[in-house]
Amino acid sequence: MPSLPGWCPVADTLDRAQEALGAFPPSLQQDYEAARGALAPVLAPQELASWADDGVEIARHSLRSWEAAGEYFRASPGMLERLTFSRFREWTRTGVELVEASPALAGAYFRSSPASLQYLSVTQAPDWAAQGRSLYKGTWKSGSLAAQYFEVSPQVLPQLPLNQMRLLVDLVESLAGHSYELASACLNMSPDVLGQLDRPDRAPFLEFGSVVAGTAWVDARVYFERGPTLVRHLHPQQRARFLALAGRVAVGVGRLGHPYFMEAAQSLAEIDRDAHRDMLELAEGIAPTSGIAAMEFVKSAPEVLRRLRPEDLPRWQEAGRQILDVSPDGGEAFFRLESSKGEDIIEALSSRVELERVSELIRMYCKALTGADVAVHSAEQLAEKGVGWVDESSPTTEGTAIYLPPTVEQYTEKDENFAVYKVFATHQAARLEFGSFAFDYARPGRIFQRAAREDAPARDPEQAEAVTAMERFFDGFADRRLAHDIFTIVEDTRIDTMVKREYAGIRRPMSRLQEAALERRRPLEEMPVRQAMIENLLRASLDEGLRLHWPAELHAVMQRPLGILGRIREEGATVEDSGAATRVLYDWIRQVPNVELDEADWSEMTEGAADEEMVDIGPGSGDGQMESYQPNLPQGEEQPYESPEPIDFRGDFKPELVQLLMKLKNQQMGDGDTPPVQLSKEQLQELLEKSTEINITELSEGDLDESSGMFLDNLMKEVEQQIQQAAQQQAGKRGDGSDPEDSGEPLPEIAESFYYDEWDFRASDYKPRWCRVQEMRMEHGEIDYYQRTLSDYAQLVQETRRQFEQLKPEMFRKIKRLPDGDDYDLDGVIEWIVERKAQAQSEAKLYYRRNKVERDVAVAFLLDMSASTDEEITKHQPRPEGTDNNFDDDPRKYLSWWAQKRAQDARHPAKRIIDLEKEAAVLLIEALETIGDTYGVYGFSGYGRDNVEFFVIKDMDETLNNDAKERLDKVAPVRSTRMGPAIRHCIYKLKQTAAKVQILVLLSDGRPQDHGYGRDRTEKEYAIHDTKMALTEARREGMTPFCLTVDRAGHDYLKQMCEDMGYEVVGDIESLPRRLPSLYRRLTQ
Amino acid sequence: MTTASEGTITQYRSWAVEEFRAEEEPYYVPVGDEVELFQAAWDSKVPVLLKGPTGCGKTRFVEYMAYHLNRPALVIRDGRKVIESEDNLPLVTVACHEDLTASDLVGRYLLEGEETKWIDGPLARSVKAGAICYLDEVVEARKDTTVLIHPLTDHRRILPIEKKSQLLQARDGFLLVISFNPGYQSALKDLKQSTRQRFISIEFGYPPRETEARIVAHESGVDMDVAMNLAKMAEKVRNLREHGLSEGASTRLLIYAGKLIQNGIAPRRACQVAVAWALTDDGDVQRSIEEVISSIFE
Repeated sequence: MPSLPGWCPVADTLDRAQEALGAFPPSLQQDYEAARGALAPVLAPQELASWADDGVEIARHSLRSWEAAGEYFRASPGMLERLTFSRFREWTRTGVELVEASPALAGAYFRSSPASLQYLSVTQAPDWAAQGRSLYKGTWKSGSLAAQYFEVSPQVLPQLPLNQMRLLVDLVESLAGHSYELASACLNMSPDVLGQLDRPDRAPFLEFGSVVAGTAWVDARVYFERGPTLVRHLHPQQRARFLALAGRVAVGVGRLGHPYFMEAAQSLAEIDRDAHRDMLELAEGIAPTSGIAAMEFVKSAPEVLRRLRPEDLPRWQEAGRQILDVSPDGGEAFFRLESSKGEDIIEALSSRVELERVSELIRMYCKALTGADVAVHSAEQLAEKGVGWVDESSPTTEGTAIYLPPTVEQYTEKDENFAVYKVFATHQAARLEFGSFAFDYARPGRIFQRAAREDAPARDPEQAEAVTAMERFFDGFADRRLAHDIFTIVEDTRIDTMVKREYAGIRRPMSRLQEAALERRRPLEEMPVRQAMIENLLRASLDEGLRLHWPAELHAVMQRPLGILGRIREEGATVEDSGAATRVLYDWIRQVPNVELDEADWSEMTEGAADEEMVDIGPGSGDGQMESYQPNLPQGEEQPYESPEPIDFRGDFKPELVQLLMKLKNQQMGDGDTPPVQLSKEQLQELLEKSTEINITELSEGDLDESSGMFLDNLMKEVEQQIQQAAQQQAGKRGDGSDPEDSGEPLPEIAESFYYDEWDFRASDYKPRWCRVQEMRMEHGEIDYYQRTLSDYAQLVQETRRQFEQLKPEMFRKIKRLPDGDDYDLDGVIEWIVERKAQAQSEAKLYYRRNKVERDVAVAFLLDMSASTDEEITKHQPRPEGTDNNFDDDPRKYLSWWAQKRAQDARHPAKRIIDLEKEAAVLLIEALETIGDTYGVYGFSGYGRDNVEFFVIKDMDETLNNDAKERLDKVAPVRSTRMGPAIRHCIYKLKQTAAKVQILVLLSDGRPQDHGYGRDRTEKEYAIHDTKMALTEARREGMTPFCLTVDRAGHDYLKQMCEDMGYEVVGDIESLPRRLPSLYRRLTQ
Repeated sequence: MTTASEGTITQYRSWAVEEFRAEEEPYYVPVGDEVELFQAAWDSKVPVLLKGPTGCGKTRFVEYMAYHLNRPALVIRDGRKVIESEDNLPLVTVACHEDLTASDLVGRYLLEGEETKWIDGPLARSVKAGAICYLDEVVEARKDTTVLIHPLTDHRRILPIEKKSQLLQARDGFLLVISFNPGYQSALKDLKQSTRQRFISIEFGYPPRETEARIVAHESGVDMDVAMNLAKMAEKVRNLREHGLSEGASTRLLIYAGKLIQNGIAPRRACQVAVAWALTDDGDVQRSIEEVISSIFE
């Protein structure tokens, strides 16, 4: 409105404005007046007028625009504090334009402006508004989203510069294309989300967010909720890099991008932050070839780093990349750790040795050394048993098995780490071999010629009878702990010396461990004297020529123990010598007070040769000596005694407990040398309380009574288990021909697990240890079934039996025309002489020989027990006469037909596929019995790779007895068909037989199918390829695989699966029982 | 004894089977009373079955006995019987295999020109010569051979030669000795009771460590320390029987290892090739034997 001179249009305008606003709710007028009051002092009159006009224009624009006008009035004073009027007008104009689009939008714009523009420069304001405007697409939902943009701006802008806010807008806009609710939720979360992130991470976070929105918009909410936490786990400098990588990958892989991001980020969180840079560098090296592989690499990194040193990782990555170049699927499987090649490479690169991989080797090694059936297990297993051992990483033995730490990675070379295992195992085996646990209370040793009994103090008659010799021995010491520590040192010295003497080859790695153990000892100076003496004794035990650190004035006190230790190293020393030495050492060392050594003149001494008298241990020996040293002994306050820290390679030594276990075992078996002694609970309880080998509180929490009760239970359980194992070993040695009656009660059926690789045709590689086959015996059913089938098929049984009898080879076959043999073949001789007379040249092949022909066939029948074998096969039956389904629409006719059919079905239930499989098996078994081939009948089913059920109906080495016949009755449809592992297990079964001809017959009703047997439920290729590979493996082993299916559609996949191997589709399923035996004949002829 | 080719430098020596005699005393360390038992059996014409794992010294034992069993050569001089000389017994050894038939042992007709000529088999020859006939690993041979030896092993001491319709009475000194390794043969190849019960049975085991070391030291020339270690190793490895190892390490293999060591091969390597790899093809078992070896030898 032009302003005219001499007239006061301003006041006029303002009044008119007020008047105009009167048409709107009163609050608007109030806002106007409040703003006008505030603005009047700062604006020129014209400016004020145009301000008011603008307000009215906005209010009048449309139905609800007065609300926006109210916001305008309220925001104006604040805005004008910051903006020049011309800038203010620009701001207003932007608002007016927004009103054009949506009054609500404009309202949000005005309302948010004072707060938002604090964070923006003057020139940025239009851009800011334009970004919000861009979200508005003319719909109500988009309007409210855009309004929301303005509302959150004051919280977002302090965290995000405007140019980066564009990223957020893009993200939201892209989400809005799918779901406004989601877009709005994300926008709402954004201030909080951004707040959780460090400033430099925000833009990369949003950039990846945009990719997620584009590729997997549903995941956006999860990304906003959990993304910041995940990102924060990363090394600050690597976050942007990781997000960029995830973005690049997601562009390529689509929907999977976000899950990969989450999993990879989680994996990185498990790795040391400082390694993130290298890790991402390696991943980036993979990404150009395959994004999936790159992410799989990151996902697998923590697992791989558990087995490889970080510096070996590039070599592993390089190996994977090479595979990736050739086969993307192979490379991905490699990085997913689902490839045998990958496993091999890790194994080759890794310096760590896992017990699982070497336990069989070590077991045989220990068996060779000790001559006993020692098992080798992880120390964790022993700790779990709760029978006194608690350390999960210390090598030890409880008398029947050797327990070792689950992994060793002390050194950088695999060989060295294996050598560590070997030293561990040798030391424990030596305890068994050299009789550490055979301590006898009454038997004198060979070096000292004294039995423990002779030197023991008188026993308190009140005291309960000791259970074991070891317990009795330790009872003779007031300070049981000290005695136990000394005995351990002495006995370990003896064992180490014996090992080094007997096994020269182990000396070097053992010395290395001894040196390493020495280096780790705590300084002597910190210890009180008695403890330091024990410590020195221990050090001397680790190295014969060691220069010991010891106060000069106390040399003489130390000399005698060292001399005695030296004698234990003599050839022929027994555990009783260790006992005798312990007695003397204990008596000697006990006299030394356990006080601090304040001022000592530390010097060096060696074990050296002590004089005769010093190391004499007869009665009264050394009694007076200590007194003469008395003045030299330090004085002071007695300190508590602490046991020396254990030596790693020697591990836990619990002779008392081992003897107790042995005793309990003998008592249970009742066949020890000594008559079975009933141990009372009190005796055990007492032993438990006094023994220093068991720390009840460490074993379990709870009150003492309860935990000692539990301990006893565990102990008894362990003893029973050992007895069972021993019995099983005995049974195993006797062979299977042994009478099952002698083993007493039948043991409960336990499924035995076997692991097999699975072939991944995409990766052209095996997935290592992928499937678990659970072998179990089929339950017993009714024997009638077998007999009934035989009588049902009586005719056929006769026929096949006759046919099979003809297969039986003649024992000897005469082979003629040999140059050498049993005797002349008369025809040949006559012919030859005639020819010679006729001057013809002919070879003198005149002999015959009887050659023995043996039939040596083993066959494994594998029955498909998948759910689909439940299908009835009525449809193949010829329709009964007179049922032409022509009921003339007469329901009565139909009903009577139906009733008739029902009755018939009840009499002869329809056969299912499985029934025919079973019947065929019965017939074949009958036929095979006549011919005498070795055979096994198995069924398989299961669900998933870790649960392939393999049912034994009749094992290879079993004779056909009622058990097997009863089991056959129980064959029934179960679940899926994972053929590969079942075939592999059959191969294993066949390999156990030594037969020359080995045949594997697979009887199925359809294609292989299982959960996870292929990329998804519908994929068939994977399962077929794996099955084919399993069959090929059988062929490679020299077996003849044969597939028989009753699936009429079987030709297509069988052709692929069996290729040049034998297969047959039995079109008329009912002929199966007839077909199978004749097929078998053909196979073996 | 005849040399192989007259007029040329003799590269090898050959004997007719029944003429072979050990010239030097075979080295054998008796472990128990086997020498006395064998002597007594020979004196009383009781056939002997030697049982034991391979390479424990059965064959050497027979050689040793043949050398020491003297048969007086009787000569009539001036109307009186005089012992002219004492000669040790010839030893005929037949290694039995699964294609060994009765005619391989007894003899057969061969064509010569236009005539047939009878050739005695080793068994017939030793019966005639009064030799010790040693059928090594007799269960490997065909069943008909075991039946063939029945009349030779009882009081009759005759060998029927069917094709010639003859009966051959065994000469003094003839003794049938068979060996049999119960360890690795399958149940199929067990000796029939009717055969078994015609022999006294001397069981052989591996000698004790000390004795075995002495044998190894003597045979291979290694010093006693090495020999002791070899014997110790064998003892450990023998603990592994039933673990894919059908037989323990034989003394013979130890001697081989000793010989290699004596010829400058490092002990670990020598044991690897002579023991670990010789015993089994199973990788795991090989590896555990190697670990035992590397524990014992530096």
